[in-house]
Amino acid sequence: MSESFVAPGHQRYLRACMVCSIVMTFARFRDEGCPNCEEFLHLQGSQDQIESCTSQVFEGLISLANPARSWVAKWQRLDTYVRGVYATKVSGQLPDDVRTTIEEEYRIQYIPRDGSATEAD
Amino acid sequence: MSSHDPRYGGDSDSDDDNFNPAPADLSDDENNAQDTRARKTNRNEPRTSSPAVEEQEDDDEDEVQPPAGKQPRIAQLDEEEDEEEEDEEEQNDNEDDEEEDDEDEDDVQGGHRRKRRKDRRAAFFDIEAEVDDEDEGEDDEKDGEEIEDFIDNAHPDDIADSGRMNDDRRHRELDRRREMEASLDAEKQAEILRERYGKRAPARGYGDSAVVPKRLLLPSVEDPSIWAVRCKEGKEREVVFSIIRRVEERLGTKNEMPIISAFERGGINSVMKGYIYVEAQRQNDIMIALDGVLNVYPRTKMILVEIKDMPDLLRVIKTPNLEPGAWVRLKKPAKHAGDLAQVLDVTENGLEARVRYIPRLDYGVRDEMTTAEGKRKRPGLPGPRPPQRLFSEVEARKRHPRNIVDNPQTNTWTYMGEDFEHGFLVKDIKIQQLEVKDVNPTLEEVTKFASGAEDGTENLDLKALAASLKDSNTNVAYVPGDVIEVYEGEQRGVIGKATNVQGDIVTLQVTEGDLAGQTIEVPNKGLRKRFRPGDHVKVIGGSRFREEVGMVVKIVDDRVTLLTDQTNTEITVFSKDLREADDIGGQGSLGQYSLLDLVQLDPTTVGCIIKVDRESLVVLDQNGDTRQVMPSQITNKLPKRKTAVAADRNGSEIRLDDVVREYGGQQRQGKIIHIHRSFIYLHSNTTSENAGVFVTRSNNVNTIAAKGGRINNASSGPDLSSMNPALKRNPAGPNMQPPKSFGPDRAMGQTVTVKKGGYKGLLGIVKDTTDTHARVELHTKGKIITVPKADLAFKDKITGRPIDINTRGRGGFGGGGGRGGFGSSGAGDWSGGSRTPMASGGSERTPAWSSSKSSARTPAWSRNPDTSGSRTPAWGDGSRTVNPYDGSRTSYGGATSYGGGSRTPAWSSGAKTPAPDSFGHGSKTPAYGGGGDAWGSKTPAYGAPTPGASGTDSWGYTPGASGSHAFDAPTPGANLGAPTPAALNAPTPGVYSAPTPAAVSAPTPGAWQGGWGADTAPTPAVGAPTPAAYYGAPTPAAYGAPETPAASGPRYTDDD
Repeated sequence: MSESFVAPGHQRYLRACMVCSIVMTFARFRDEGCPNCEEFLHLQGSQDQIESCTSQVFEGLISLANPARSWVAKWQRLDTYVRGVYATKVSGQLPDDVRTTIEEEYRIQYIPRDGSATEAD
Repeated sequence: MSSHDPRYGGDSDSDDDNFNPAPADLSDDENNAQDTRARKTNRNEPRTSSPAVEEQEDDDEDEVQPPAGKQPRIAQLDEEEDEEEEDEEEQNDNEDDEEEDDEDEDDVQGGHRRKRRKDRRAAFFDIEAEVDDEDEGEDDEKDGEEIEDFIDNAHPDDIADSGRMNDDRRHRELDRRREMEASLDAEKQAEILRERYGKRAPARGYGDSAVVPKRLLLPSVEDPSIWAVRCKEGKEREVVFSIIRRVEERLGTKNEMPIISAFERGGINSVMKGYIYVEAQRQNDIMIALDGVLNVYPRTKMILVEIKDMPDLLRVIKTPNLEPGAWVRLKKPAKHAGDLAQVLDVTENGLEARVRYIPRLDYGVRDEMTTAEGKRKRPGLPGPRPPQRLFSEVEARKRHPRNIVDNPQTNTWTYMGEDFEHGFLVKDIKIQQLEVKDVNPTLEEVTKFASGAEDGTENLDLKALAASLKDSNTNVAYVPGDVIEVYEGEQRGVIGKATNVQGDIVTLQVTEGDLAGQTIEVPNKGLRKRFRPGDHVKVIGGSRFREEVGMVVKIVDDRVTLLTDQTNTEITVFSKDLREADDIGGQGSLGQYSLLDLVQLDPTTVGCIIKVDRESLVVLDQNGDTRQVMPSQITNKLPKRKTAVAADRNGSEIRLDDVVREYGGQQRQGKIIHIHRSFIYLHSNTTSENAGVFVTRSNNVNTIAAKGGRINNASSGPDLSSMNPALKRNPAGPNMQPPKSFGPDRAMGQTVTVKKGGYKGLLGIVKDTTDTHARVELHTKGKIITVPKADLAFKDKITGRPIDINTRGRGGFGGGGGRGGFGSSGAGDWSGGSRTPMASGGSERTPAWSSSKSSARTPAWSRNPDTSGSRTPAWGDGSRTVNPYDGSRTSYGGATSYGGGSRTPAWSSGAKTPAPDSFGHGSKTPAYGGGGDAWGSKTPAYGAPTPGASGTDSWGYTPGASGSHAFDAPTPGANLGAPTPAALNAPTPGVYSAPTPAAVSAPTPGAWQGGWGADTAPTPAVGAPTPAAYYGAPTPAAYGAPETPAASGPRYTDDD
């Protein structure tokens, strides 16, 4: 049942989605895609896509049990996402083409999670 | 052109008159008498609103009424539209023509027209993007022209044109209007546009949260609280995962997890490590939720995070982007941890960087060591890591020729699976394995990278360096009194003296420029210290030149070049690392430590001081790494041990001051300055790196020159002195010394008299010896004196006769014991005989001879001559101790002649060559055996002497017999007669060998009796035989022919 749990031995395979910051193993990204962003990132089954849109460099893990009620989720803009483990900071840049696509085609404002957005605040 | 007319007077005759003398009145009829009007009225409204609308309008209009092409955009549209709607148009046929014409005209027209055309098209394709007034304005200006063009073309062709003309006017009017409105209502338009397009993004619900600014998300009292809960440091992530597991496991059960979220901000350098943060409505929820979770301690005091602090918990600070050229430090390959690296490239997502750094390769040297100790040794184990050195293809090929792939064109290699470019190791490394902040590269480190340019030029990018040093700029401490220049910001160029420093703010008393005299405050970010050429400055940090003191000679930006007091070399440092100096730096020593001293750093590490700074020392430790230490870190200084001995690769002993060369590796050569266990420190003047000092293992060097020509290699390699003819001809005393013997010095315990000096004539006993000196306890004074061995005469303890201790030694004579065996008479003679070698040692041989001979030899000789044929007799002499004495002596007699005779030449020429060999062997016991054999083989030549021959071979066994036999019969005849020559030539070697046995014989006395011949034969033989041989075998023959001498000569030398 606890699909979000990752044993310490497998934590080296963890990756964080650069869009929603959810943290999962590479295998799970590959098998299931990103639960929040699959619609436009299409990570499932695509190793290349996973490697370019998720990052191994992240910090500050968040176990989100109740996204809707959580202020942390709200602050991190995770409140519409699924329950799971997220990262506070995800280093790395979404490839430009992906970024352009999601902003133009899907009308989603991409907020980088590597800390560059907070400077604007 | 009046802008308003056309609007009202649809046809506006006046206009027509002006522009179009032949209006096509009728043209209107077909399409649009009414339409036009109606449209025109409609048109105005939308047009003002937006170009897009306007265009649509235009299109419509055009369908009905092809415009005259007056309005560029419209005309363009028309062309297209017309084609589509030819049916509807009355004058389709003409239409086309007209258009063509139109186009032609356009082409002919000036550039502006063409340009406009382009614009038109653009407008067609992407109208909303074109809100520019320019087009319109241009149109207006050109209206007249266009119209004329149009008229020219259109008029003759078609009536429809007249309709167009009307339209045309309308268009023009419209344009004007539009223009005006555009110019007037830019803002309004913008607003409309925004209205129209701006809403697209938020239109979709998805990004709603993304749009809400953070300030609206700030926590309030309604939000759940956050508690900090202690957890085990380093286990934060695991705890968070444990919590999500529990959350998911209990989902939908009765005891669902009551907490809302939990997060951690751990990390090695984080101040928030050791805690996780749990968001929950009540503290008790946390207790319930975390009960039983590993590594987290909810029962210890939880800290409630204040609402205003909550956002800070989740603050994210962007990691600065890596730029190519930037400096970083490596964390991961353990071997390189802390090494400086330069970023060459960064992947698109910024997660990996291609960096280059200086490899630490041992080229497999240590692999072998580890495999020798056992394969289980972990490969990554941190031993002493190899020093940083650029990749060397030669080295790599030496051990791993198969593991290297090269590409000489680009100067790149692949070695052991890693890439090397220009000597640097180039590798893709994840940024989490790089230390990006606080890199603080020293100039020294950076210089290593700079010197790597393929053409040898220095391409040190000081700019990049400066950039990476900017981080450390905060470390710069300005002190009141520093002269400071502002190089950034509004006050750039201001120079002043710091009067006060408070935090980041420096108060300057401006000394130069317009502001002179004023006092300003500036942040220290844009500041740098300013010096002038000639200033005496001291390097205070940040570079390897720390503590250097010198004079400024050049200043470029913030890089200052100074000439150091100590070494008179130019160094370049950043001005921030300088401070005006009032002292003179640089002594050769610091406390008790001075340059090149060997010091103990810790129980297992020693180092050689290679640099002395003001407050610290740089030492080269035994692993080849340099490190900077404070004097207080040094355990003690290791005194230079003059007697320290090590063995080189060949087992030769090496001592201080010997010159040795590395075997393999860089083949560096140097003089030994320290020997510490198996490490030797060498000093070389050919390199200035590390003050010319380098360290290696003693078993990794070959001796090049030993100090003082010490014979350094008794056990291996040819004996050079024995091969040197010059030395043979004029044997000098020292060279005649017996081969190095093993075991305790035979002089020990001997009774001696002193031959020279103040103690001359006194009798004593040797208590202790060195190579050259002996400590003698005098019988008379009961005192121990040190005397050169050469000044001692050895006496028999009992008889008081002079003895040759070496011979004895060789003979295996225990000394007294041996002699005793001999019998008194024997002893005396014997010693004489055996001594000969000694004698030879002393002078040529003759003197020795004479002495030794005098007693016994001659007779022997006489015998020998007799035996001459085979020499064997001589041998015989040798072997039988008793006889030998005589024999040897005899030879002695022979010897004399010998000496006088032809020897010398003989020596050099024929005989010698073999001699050396036999010698080499000969002197060493084993050789004897060989010698004997040789002899044997030669014996044939000897043929005649057979007895002797047999004797030789069988020395051990039959010596006595054979010897004696030889003696008797053959000697004279043989020697004198034919045999000699034969013997000489062929045998010589044999002779040598032969002597050996003889030697045996010599000792034999003792041996004989003891029955020792067999066992010890060799050893004693060495000493004794030789002489015997010489005497015995050669002598006669030799005398007769030139050879013998030769033979004997060399032998002698060696033997002695």
